[in-house]
Amino acid sequence: MERAMPVTLRASLQLVSDPKNLDSTVEEVFKMMLGIDCHRYPGPVEMEPESVTAVVGFGGLLSGACLFKSGSSTAIKIAAAMTGMEIAEVDDTVKDGIGEICNMLAGAWKGKVPDLAANCGLSIPAVITGRDYNLHVQAPEFKLLHCYRFDGGCFEVTIICDGLQ
Amino acid sequence: MSEIRTLIVDDSSVMRKIVERSLRQAGLDTMIVYEAGSGTEGLDMLRAKQVDLILSDINMPSMDGLEFLRQLRAQNLAPGVPVVMITTESSEEHVKQAILAGAQGYIRKPFTADQVKERVLPLLQAV
Repeated sequence: MERAMPVTLRASLQLVSDPKNLDSTVEEVFKMMLGIDCHRYPGPVEMEPESVTAVVGFGGLLSGACLFKSGSSTAIKIAAAMTGMEIAEVDDTVKDGIGEICNMLAGAWKGKVPDLAANCGLSIPAVITGRDYNLHVQAPEFKLLHCYRFDGGCFEVTIICDGLQ
Repeated sequence: MSEIRTLIVDDSSVMRKIVERSLRQAGLDTMIVYEAGSGTEGLDMLRAKQVDLILSDINMPSMDGLEFLRQLRAQNLAPGVPVVMITTESSEEHVKQAILAGAQGYIRKPFTADQVKERVLPLLQAV
């Protein structure tokens, strides 16, 4: 009897880490869910003192995380576009909205590679707000950090892969 | 179409708003919406209210959407009511799991109002 070959992503590293997948994911999520055209630019994003960061973890054949980071005012604009509400400060709606954006980015990004979509799970989003904080991952397998802007805001999206089977 | 009673189950209140807006843009503008922030809350709501349509997220803390769906079927709550899962998980395996658990439809996030219309309206017309 023939045995099924174990699924491995290592052979697809180039495809998994293709920067174009991240750009098309970000453009697709913002256009479809918010009606916002956003485009990659060289960056860096000039962060306001107060920022909002959402993290969604990857587990399975790829372990790592998808991070979304923006200044507070951009986060408020994004949450306002999602809900159609006027929002004055970083409140629970903004944290919820940014967590969902990160969740959709992580899901849509892994969906670009069929083996990744089928063999990599997502965590529930976590959101960090405030000032003077850093997220650090030691020696990732690969890391993509891209900056994007739209009319009225800019943000960073990072994919960190710290393990690939 | 007459007034549709819809239950939206999602731990994100922002996503519940987006789903509701998409349904209204899809033509269900005379809809009554009930919201639940978890699978458990959704089951409680179905014990108290009758609905015509259920949309549920899958990736939720405590009781996820698939478990909500299994419990819904096991407890015979909302019999015959179409359930559409809305999720970021898009692999064939995830779709298969949702269908096996009793879902009639599947919408991948991100989505447009047109996609919601395509997946939801035929289910309501079939009831």
